[in-house]
Amino acid sequence: MSGTKPDILWAPHQVDRFVVCDSELSLYHVESTVNSELKAGSLRLSEDSAATLLSINSDTPYMKCVAWYLNYDPECLLAVGQANGRVVLTSLGQDHNSKFKDLIGKEFVPKHARQCNTLAWNPLDSNWLAAGLDKHRADFSVLIWDICSKYTPDIVPMEKVRLSAGETETTLLVTKPLYELGQNDACLSLCWLPRDQKLLLAGMHRNLAIFDLRNTSQKMFVNTKAVQGVTVDPYFHDRVASFYEGQVAIWDLRKFEKPVLTLTEQPKPLTKVAWCPTRTGLLATLTRDSNIIRLYDMQHTPTPIGDETEPTIIERSVQPCDNYIASFAWHPTSQNRMIVVTPNRTMSDFTVFERISLAWSPITSLMWACGRHLYECAEEENDNSLEKDIATKMRLRALSRYGLDTEQVWRNHILAGNEDPQLKSLWYTLHFMKQYTEDMDQKSPGNKGSLVYAGIKSIVKSSLGMVESSRHNWSGLDKQSDIQNLNEERILALQLCGWIKKGTDVDVGPFLNSLVQEGEWERAAAVALFNLDIRRAIQILNEGASSEKGDLNLNVVAMALSGYTDEKNSLWREMCSTLRLQLNNPYLCVMFAFLTSETGSYDGVLLNRYIEKLTNEMKEAGNLEGILLTGLTKDGVDLMESYVDRTGDVQTASYCMLQGSPLDVLKDERVQYWIENYRNLLDAWRFWHKRAEFDIHRSKLDPSSKPLAQVFVSCNFCGKSISYSCSTVPHQGRGFSQYGVSGSPTKSKVTSCPGCRKPLPRCALCLINMGTPVSSCPGTMQSVPFLHAHVNVCSWIQQEIWYLQRLSSHKMLSSKEKPSSVELSNRCPS
Amino acid sequence: MFVARHIAADHKDLIHDVSFDFHGRRMATCSSDQSVKVWDKSESGDWHCTASWKTHSGSVWRVTWAHPEFGQVLASCSFDRTAAVWEEIVGESNDKLRGQSHWVKRTTLVDSRTSVTDVKFAPKHMGLMLATCSADGIVRIYEAPDVMNLSQWSLQHEISCKLSCSCISWNPSRKYAKAETLMTVTDPVHDIAFAPNLGRSFHILAVATKDVRIFTLKPVRKELTSSGGPTKFEIHIVAQFDNHNSQVWRVSWNITGTVLASSGDDGCVRLWKANYMDNWKCTGILKGNGSPVNGNSQQGNSNPSLGSNIPNLQNSLNGSSSGRKHS
Repeated sequence: MSGTKPDILWAPHQVDRFVVCDSELSLYHVESTVNSELKAGSLRLSEDSAATLLSINSDTPYMKCVAWYLNYDPECLLAVGQANGRVVLTSLGQDHNSKFKDLIGKEFVPKHARQCNTLAWNPLDSNWLAAGLDKHRADFSVLIWDICSKYTPDIVPMEKVRLSAGETETTLLVTKPLYELGQNDACLSLCWLPRDQKLLLAGMHRNLAIFDLRNTSQKMFVNTKAVQGVTVDPYFHDRVASFYEGQVAIWDLRKFEKPVLTLTEQPKPLTKVAWCPTRTGLLATLTRDSNIIRLYDMQHTPTPIGDETEPTIIERSVQPCDNYIASFAWHPTSQNRMIVVTPNRTMSDFTVFERISLAWSPITSLMWACGRHLYECAEEENDNSLEKDIATKMRLRALSRYGLDTEQVWRNHILAGNEDPQLKSLWYTLHFMKQYTEDMDQKSPGNKGSLVYAGIKSIVKSSLGMVESSRHNWSGLDKQSDIQNLNEERILALQLCGWIKKGTDVDVGPFLNSLVQEGEWERAAAVALFNLDIRRAIQILNEGASSEKGDLNLNVVAMALSGYTDEKNSLWREMCSTLRLQLNNPYLCVMFAFLTSETGSYDGVLLNRYIEKLTNEMKEAGNLEGILLTGLTKDGVDLMESYVDRTGDVQTASYCMLQGSPLDVLKDERVQYWIENYRNLLDAWRFWHKRAEFDIHRSKLDPSSKPLAQVFVSCNFCGKSISYSCSTVPHQGRGFSQYGVSGSPTKSKVTSCPGCRKPLPRCALCLINMGTPVSSCPGTMQSVPFLHAHVNVCSWIQQEIWYLQRLSSHKMLSSKEKPSSVELSNRCPS
Repeated sequence: MFVARHIAADHKDLIHDVSFDFHGRRMATCSSDQSVKVWDKSESGDWHCTASWKTHSGSVWRVTWAHPEFGQVLASCSFDRTAAVWEEIVGESNDKLRGQSHWVKRTTLVDSRTSVTDVKFAPKHMGLMLATCSADGIVRIYEAPDVMNLSQWSLQHEISCKLSCSCISWNPSRKYAKAETLMTVTDPVHDIAFAPNLGRSFHILAVATKDVRIFTLKPVRKELTSSGGPTKFEIHIVAQFDNHNSQVWRVSWNITGTVLASSGDDGCVRLWKANYMDNWKCTGILKGNGSPVNGNSQQGNSNPSLGSNIPNLQNSLNGSSSGRKHS
């Protein structure tokens, strides 16, 4: 530690205190600020912690290294190694009444002055302090002091005392170390081995040495350059890390010959390496002029047996702050927490997070594991429905029987929660489509029904060029006017849009009344006008103007309307056609357009183009309202696909497409895929009943969908399914051919089980081997489980018996089902 | 939006993986303490550990469930260079009384010469298949030809990726035969996940590397490509978030593929969701210890300008993404 670069140390016992040392020692107290404001004068360390300066000690200049006394009492006793090799005990002045008071200020002086590189307290005998010094000729470089030893004046050479800046309080000087080791060498780093109180590991000049204090003449050593920062893994006492330049070496003391591992070399020299004290196998390293701390996660206790593979190491780096980091220190007890200090003494406190692994459950809760803990997190129930994920929505909708109301189709949007305008529009559209299909089927049992589901786009297209005109009487006016008679298709399109209830000859009165009641005067007036009832239209507008919510301007409109004239070049016509563009309300606007336009000039081609454009827009956006235009056609599937792409709502897609079942949209592979996925979702949610309901619903609407096989026939001997080999062939190249039966399985005779090759039992009546596919009805056995094999009763009986594994009960069974068995003997293919 | 609660896991060391079964009623965890634990959800919604046993002689990296159609089957993979398949035995009265279930090892897959880093069952329509990947970069695909016999697995494919593999993900779709997925991801990939497809016209892939990335893979329509050959994909990067500051460790999709959860070096779990405009946004942040993050405002924005087309660029994938399906 140089004088400029601060170092940082946590107190070993008082876990809320730490010391920062550069030219002086500063003691800080850490507080949580989760529930309180930042106190004046304290420094923020992280989002939820702050430090307060407790005291400063500047008694010991030229500090080179510091070590905190490991015993609980006295609390704030530190050993400071100085540039002249002296070790001074100092305190941060927290307790002066202690019986250890006489320790403070004690100095331990080596024979020759040289830099003290490292200090290490013995973890077992708390009074032992090892100091590692630079080389001085043939002097010892590792000195072990007993801090309780008394002043020994007779040994101290007086001139050495005088050298040390004319000390006066010589009573506190200790000059006789307990042990002297490492003669004629330099010591760069030290640590005590937790295995034994008397083992000391030292990084010497050119080697790592283990000194045994019971026999100081001998040492175990290994030559290496990696001699700096030796440190023992607190969880694995035989594992030691040391470093040299940019390289970290990991040693196993049981096979000390070479490092078990060297970590990837860093471009800059390392300054500190430390094992995490709260978790196994986590080593933090710091390089010079760097703002990241690199972490090596060694998940494996190295095996002592000759395992050649290197343990996998997960390398991570964390960046606790933006500045360069001068030093860091792991918190002794708090999990994975460390504090870092920058050269300008700003500090920050942070926790290294474990790799969090996470998983979503199908029922929208999230589980994650952080370290040794598990956390579950679920979406809150009372959440705003708009923010809910589609998975939650679909689940709730499935529970509320969404999509299953086939009579009142529009009600499905209420079942869906009545919150999505698009769904509302969709289900109303489908409702009307269904209704008109039924109506038309009643009127003419032709094939118009399919046209309804084809959507407005195709309806309008098919109606082009079929324009008829007829004369109608204006009611309320004594005039006649040429009005296009809308052909049937166009009426249908209008019906779908909710314009005309039923045909042209129907009384619109009730519809108008309902519109008036809802306050839609403009629309009601327009409908009345289109039905050539101008008097009624004016009446409605007056009504609207006089009502509370209505617009007074409606009176003006009514006035304008009453001036309608059929003359081509009248002023009225001219003004209306120019001024109508300024009207805000589209209904009012279109009313005047209707009145002022040339007879029979409604531009069908433009409408068609507009619908085309709108359809494409809707398809692009996946807007369900567009189903009105596209209907349940291929266009509709395209639109639904972009809806599914956007929302993932396969539920709506499946139910919606099932509505169009008579059409071939259901054969679209995308639709089948949605249905399959939706069933799969229901399965995952364990909604067995809902899925069964869905299947029933599906088979009702889509007769082509057959229920999948539910029952299989298995061999009596090996328990394997015999229909496995002729099932819907999930694996090509397997099945019969694998067992030496060539050709099509429907033609070949199977006489043995495909699994165990035991002969299959024979039918008691026809003596055919059971499981034999019947040639007269190929494919029966393949696709349909035996319960559905009505076509071939014989093979049904065969399988039935086999399934029950009761050959002898054939008679019994056939007597139970007499009619069929009689029939079956006649129809047996053999 | 989300609240977290703590569950006493009782593992003696770090938990490396959490996995739900198909229905979300059972859960398996694996840990460095070499064990796997199985948890069952009670009616009240609490999780109870119903089995805990030593599975490997090294850290267990990942654990995964087979589809329940194949029974109650788990697969685990470990540092000890093996992967194992486990099956629950029902009907042991002693165990049932104690509320414990009994799991037996059905097979050990010993082909790897290095640590097996991931194991995943194939989608169920492919039969009972299992893929593993190992630190030496070999993806192996095994198949149990007979679903009733879990002790027999044949090695079907061995794909060498040259680079160390950390994770694999099966594509849930059955629509195409083989995909070549090359990406411009140059940093180590820690996790990869295909979203459940649900009938979308494209696939969504999330990658955890030094940031969270979301890709879409849109199959090029068959009519446009020459007949035959593997399906080509248009690959777009739709979102890229560096809110985790540093490495992202895991990504996971919810059942509909609409919400992505990610975890990273900042110790937070983040939830990502696309709005109707297909802009992905952060919708929730939780700290790893379950506490909410103060000031829930650091929302990430996807960068729409990144939507460039990057097909077939040189594969510099470090850590393999294997989204293969072999027909």
